[in-house]
Amino acid sequence: MQQAVGSYVLSLENVAKTYPGNTKRALDRVSFEVAAGEFFSILGPSGSGKTTILRTIAGFEKPDEGRVVMAGGDVTHLPPNRRDLRTVFQSYALFPHLTIGENVQYPLRMSGMGKLERTRKAAEALELVAMEPLAGRLPHLLSGGQRQRAALARAVVSRPQLLLLDEPLGALDLRLRQQMQHTLVSLQKELGIAFVYVTHDQGEALSMSDRVLVMREGRIAQLGRPQDLYFKPRSEFVAEFVGNSNMLPVEFTADHGSYVGSIGGVTFPEMRGDKSGKARVAVRYDNVHIYPAKENSGTSRLSGIVENVLFLGTNIEVDMRCGDLRIMGSLPAGRADSIVAGQAVSIGLDLADASVFHV
Amino acid sequence: MALFATPAVPARFRFRIDLPQVPVYAWLALVVLIPNLLLIGTSFLSVAEGRIKFEPTLGNYVRLWHSAGFWRLLWKTLQFSLLGAFLGALAAYPMACFVGRAVRNNRSILTVLVLVPLWISLLMRVFSWRLILGQNGVLNSSLVSSGILDTPSSAFLYTGSSVVLTFAYISIPFIFVSTLNAFEKIPQSLIEASQDLGATTVQTFCHVIWPLTRRSLAIGFSLAFLVTVGDYVTPSMVGGINGTTLGVLISSQFGIASNWPFGAALSIALIVAVSVVVGVALWSCPQRGVFSGDETPSGGPPPGARPRLGFIGGSILYGVVVAFLYAPLLLMVVFSFNDSTLQAFPLQRLTFKWYAELAGNSGLIAAAQRSLVVAVCVVLVSSIVGTSFALILHYRNLLYSRAIELLLTLPLAMPSVVLGIVMVLGTEIVGVPPGLARIVIGQASFIMPITMLLVLTRLRRLDPSLLEASLDLGASRLQSFVHVVLPLIRGAAIGGMLLGVTLSADEVMVTLFLAGPSQTLPIWVFNQMRFGFTPSVNAVFTLLGLFALSTVLIGQFISRRRAID
Ligand SMILES: Nc1ncnc2c1ncn2[C@@H]1O[C@H](COP(=O)(O)OP(=O)(O)OP(=O)(O)O)[C@@H](O)[C@H]1O
Ligand SMILES: [Mg+2]
Repeated sequence: MQQAVGSYVLSLENVAKTYPGNTKRALDRVSFEVAAGEFFSILGPSGSGKTTILRTIAGFEKPDEGRVVMAGGDVTHLPPNRRDLRTVFQSYALFPHLTIGENVQYPLRMSGMGKLERTRKAAEALELVAMEPLAGRLPHLLSGGQRQRAALARAVVSRPQLLLLDEPLGALDLRLRQQMQHTLVSLQKELGIAFVYVTHDQGEALSMSDRVLVMREGRIAQLGRPQDLYFKPRSEFVAEFVGNSNMLPVEFTADHGSYVGSIGGVTFPEMRGDKSGKARVAVRYDNVHIYPAKENSGTSRLSGIVENVLFLGTNIEVDMRCGDLRIMGSLPAGRADSIVAGQAVSIGLDLADASVFHV
Repeated sequence: MALFATPAVPARFRFRIDLPQVPVYAWLALVVLIPNLLLIGTSFLSVAEGRIKFEPTLGNYVRLWHSAGFWRLLWKTLQFSLLGAFLGALAAYPMACFVGRAVRNNRSILTVLVLVPLWISLLMRVFSWRLILGQNGVLNSSLVSSGILDTPSSAFLYTGSSVVLTFAYISIPFIFVSTLNAFEKIPQSLIEASQDLGATTVQTFCHVIWPLTRRSLAIGFSLAFLVTVGDYVTPSMVGGINGTTLGVLISSQFGIASNWPFGAALSIALIVAVSVVVGVALWSCPQRGVFSGDETPSGGPPPGARPRLGFIGGSILYGVVVAFLYAPLLLMVVFSFNDSTLQAFPLQRLTFKWYAELAGNSGLIAAAQRSLVVAVCVVLVSSIVGTSFALILHYRNLLYSRAIELLLTLPLAMPSVVLGIVMVLGTEIVGVPPGLARIVIGQASFIMPITMLLVLTRLRRLDPSLLEASLDLGASRLQSFVHVVLPLIRGAAIGGMLLGVTLSADEVMVTLFLAGPSQTLPIWVFNQMRFGFTPSVNAVFTLLGLFALSTVLIGQFISRRRAID
């Protein structure tokens, strides 16, 4: 995965930052590289330092330690207006006194481009996001989605190498979000601009990105391709955060020269370990299978009671209790009618690719 | 009868008057419309053998049109106020930028410090400049004692520049308060977006900050201009012959010269000229776009921004301007304890004799008592009327309620000298004699709108669903009003009352026309100064200043305790 030296547009080297008045570091020696044309996402819970990373890259915050390097060289001490990157603000930050067209022209005007040229370029950029007919409007007369697209056009109009987006879809409703996700991905491919995209929606991060950086309390928890994070989480935290996983306690015991795990007193022969003792296993919701209680095929099953069923459109989430374990499972919505709260069920777990974390 | 109707009423075009609206229309007619129409009417009359002739004529206007002296005076009047407001803006705009955008801690203290002079008697502020600029003033005595001048110069006082200087001094707080809010309102994300899009600091100022603040600057500028252009006291106190303005001429038509029709025509000419200036100022600084409200509303720099050159420059500017605002006032306080009839350094012994002298002065005590009575009456009338008018305008669907609101606040926007004579005409016609009643009516004409505006602003910011929630929770309309609306507007109403007290206690310009022989305290002081100066005037002003300050502090304290939103 590591990019060859020289092909990156952005590189952070051991960046650390503590906000004045805080004792805890907001960023703790963070290093990563973003390749040219890459869709790079930063994922993490609230307060994990995602915004701080973006603001450091953009130049609104100075790191206490470390360097920010862009293709042209070290930019750590360069002011924001001299960096070859653009930010899409969560609040859009469209200038209220300028029309959409004038907003998009703004960066071109700042660099001294002539009026004709910049009008043409602005129109092109607005066309990319299907906003050209609204160029003459003032921002407050637009809907949220339209403002979002205008902000996007303004950010890409001067073709920067790098675009920073801080939860750009946060203020939009679900449908608009999905539409905008498509717009963003196709825009990114079309322009070949590297995106650094901050979100706390793991679905969004996994579906759109080339690589994902997971942050936890100012540190990098894991960096990798979406499928790596999903199938090979390196820590419980990542498994839980990225994969919609149940974290279940396992006990490994010696068995024929190796070790076999049991959950809730039931042994699962396909779960093999290399040492004995207590551990935790991450089981994604879609690896939980639910059968009627009477059906007993002889393979390892846990028996439980359905506590709650959540209808999510294409699938349902079932919340079950087995003794003192809580297990969540995800099923196709077609089975919604066959499962009701209070029902006794038999639960199968698909543990073939489950990640085990020893305590 | 319901106290308030639900706002949306479709049948707007039916002309219908219901009971609560009657007082609004009555006030509008009696205090605003009729007196102003009288002014216009009077300007078309003439005077023969000392009596007004009731025959319409254009004579006054023709006389003005052909009088070179009038044009020169008009130009000079506008020039003084424009220059004063311009100099004021030069100091106040960057200062507001500094306080609104660069300062993070103690912003409210820095703000109040600039605004306090607004509450201190105008007369006192003007008078203190006389202490500095006068023949025996501080400036002269220090120049003489340091050997720069041989004899005291009369070049400082009684010139056009002393008027401009004093006007600039008066203008600073007005312009500061108007622009500060605009600077604070700009979301930090807009500034960052501009930098992010490649703009330098200068470009960000020209293309983002200036367009978003120039409207407020124009408003502050106009406000300062309006206040100073109608001021005939300052020019007569510090301007002498060279500083005469149209306002001085107008006031003399209602005094010594006693030519009301000519004075009325002059007033109309002044209003026209002022409207043109204010119109141009507002037109040249248009407002475009509105904040959509989804920007992060963070005034001030991001935390972590370290003091830089701009910050240091801003601090110095702020310090210098505040020193400029307070030095004259402090000087006056110091001299009120100085055992000398000369207002000059070095100071003599500490004394309280000027204060003691006040206690034995029956004229002063009578005037102070009168002032108290006037203030109580004015505040009672203004707060009761202002609050109920605000409620009526907000909750009843008055036809053209926006226009009515504007007309009710018209007296606030009139140059004081014009408001003074308008109120003379209005009270004269219904037979109110000069004296307390006239003063109360005249002062209420502009203090009532202030209370009304304060309460209206509060009402408009209230969440409309609060009232609905109250009704929904089973309260009647009357109960909702008593338990929800009233407590929420109480702070604004009390603020209006306190402001009214200080305004009434300090008012000179309008009151002077209405008082006749019954002088209020500031009028009494003004007359004392005209007929010769005693240091006890310093003492009176010090006491008045203390009174105003404590009122402000009480107001601050109350509003702090009620700072819910
Ligand atoms: N201006 C600031 N001053 C002080 N501390 C701050 C500031 N901004 C952020 N922090 C702290 O730094 C840490 C990281 O904050 P950051 O805003 O980067 O989180 P985030 O990952 O963007 O969170 P969210 O998903 O809620 O936006 C948090 O603990 C936060 O409290
Ligand atoms: Mg954030």
